[in-house]
Amino acid sequence: MRAGVVVAVEHLVKRYRDFTAVDDISFSIADGEIFGIIGPNGAGKTTTVECISGLRVPDSGSITVFGLSPQHDRDRIRELVGVQLQQSALPPRLEVGEAVELFASFYPNSLEPRDLLESLGIRQIERAKFKNLSGGQKQRLSIALALVGNPRLAILDELTTGLDPEARRETWALIERIRNRGVTVILVTHFMDEAERLCDRIALIDRGNLRALDTPEALAAQAGGHRVSFVPSSPVDDQTLLAVPGVSQIERKERYVTVTGAGDLAASLIEALGRIGVRLSDIEARRGSLDDAFVKLTSRAPADPVGSDQAR
Amino acid sequence: MSALGAAGRRSRRPFAELLVIEGKLALREPYGLFGGVAFPAVLLGVFGFISRMVPGNVGNTGLTVLDLYIPTIIVIAFISIAVSLPNTLVRDREIGWLRRVSTTPVHPWRLLAVQLVLDLVFAVLAIAIVLIGSVTIFGAHLEVGIPYFVLAILLSIAEIFSLGLLVAALAPSQTFASAAAGVLFFVLLFLSGLWVQPVQISGPLQAIMYYSPTGAASRALLDAVFNQAPPLGTILAMVGYTAVFTAAAIRFFRWE
Repeated sequence: MRAGVVVAVEHLVKRYRDFTAVDDISFSIADGEIFGIIGPNGAGKTTTVECISGLRVPDSGSITVFGLSPQHDRDRIRELVGVQLQQSALPPRLEVGEAVELFASFYPNSLEPRDLLESLGIRQIERAKFKNLSGGQKQRLSIALALVGNPRLAILDELTTGLDPEARRETWALIERIRNRGVTVILVTHFMDEAERLCDRIALIDRGNLRALDTPEALAAQAGGHRVSFVPSSPVDDQTLLAVPGVSQIERKERYVTVTGAGDLAASLIEALGRIGVRLSDIEARRGSLDDAFVKLTSRAPADPVGSDQAR
Repeated sequence: MSALGAAGRRSRRPFAELLVIEGKLALREPYGLFGGVAFPAVLLGVFGFISRMVPGNVGNTGLTVLDLYIPTIIVIAFISIAVSLPNTLVRDREIGWLRRVSTTPVHPWRLLAVQLVLDLVFAVLAIAIVLIGSVTIFGAHLEVGIPYFVLAILLSIAEIFSLGLLVAALAPSQTFASAAAGVLFFVLLFLSGLWVQPVQISGPLQAIMYYSPTGAASRALLDAVFNQAPPLGTILAMVGYTAVFTAAAIRFFRWE
């Protein structure tokens, strides 16, 4: 086990009959990271994390979690890993407090259930039965069950699906608090804003392949780059603009000039144009979004993975 | 977020905690309890009163109606408990609860074990109600042969519960499980002698009843409550059913 590596996935392959759900995926996750896995529906995200949590057995490739094998060290790994499953319900008449107490009894170093419920804001519904909970309350309970064992790695699958915007933001704040305690988090999502906001690094999976693995900023830049529009104090020709480092495209509309490219475009433009005595006003900078990256990367031909494993 | 920092707590043992929680759930969804306690109590009342109206000696057996029906009612209690088993188990599998538990250090077989322990408790309650009720309220003259009785009870429970587990193993959905359990319920009830006792009939139907899973159980228990050894064929049939049902249930059981 390399220092600081919590999860190492190497050449993971998982097939369901004729369908290859995961086709040779490799990455590793560092201690304390929030690692996002994004991709379209049916891309293989859930299968990948199910293999990591030991719920499924890979057809080939290797996985280690804290240096242990999810298949052979089942019990030890389950003490270290908390899982929040996509679409998993509880018996309808089980109470919130009972469920958390029950799960606490499963782990050797569990958290105090009442305090956990308190911090998740569901202490007041301790006596409510599962069947009577709202979507947001069910999600919080699900997170509580994933955390009550005091895990060092939390796997959260489709965490905020079905939540209203306020509940989503609260859940995000919660994830950040979890990370601040030193828990490594794997976050499976198909919400780009969620991944962009929370994740340190993102693996983009499509049709069983790893298409990209990088920070949200780098992925966004790779897709659309940055856009800066401004009004120059005196006319500037295309040659001059294209000579500025990072600039790749120029559009003009009335007095406005819009350039797209990579890197810190606004600063480069201000500096380069300032040297020839041109000042910029009305500057508006917009970063390429992860959405753009997502669309661009997932619409490629299947057999063309972008960027190999750039794991630390 | 101070709460998320407080660790190192050790609560009750998982099995004890599971038992308490599943026990509470069993009281909130009292199918097993109904089958194990209410249904046999009602049947005992019905056949107790019939026995008073129509005294003595059914079909030259020297037994009263109630005498004949005591084993049947006990077997019916086991059947009711057993057919409620797939409902809960298949539901828990269908909603992903068993799978959820399997992501923890506790394997879901413990959930199943706890369920079976609770069902055994219901079964013991049913036995107590029927035996004590029939003797104290309706004055049945039982001479329970303890070794025979224990043997007959253990085999009956093993056989009928393993059949319930087999239904749970094979049912693809809760809807299917309820439907299958419903049909099976009435077939088993018939074979146990609820509508016609095998001593009252003859020929192939009697043989079918005697060697059917619940008919054999009723027959073994009838002998046992009057201190007679159950026929070897009956015992062997019950052992055989138990082995087949258990093996098939294990073979086909899925946790998710």
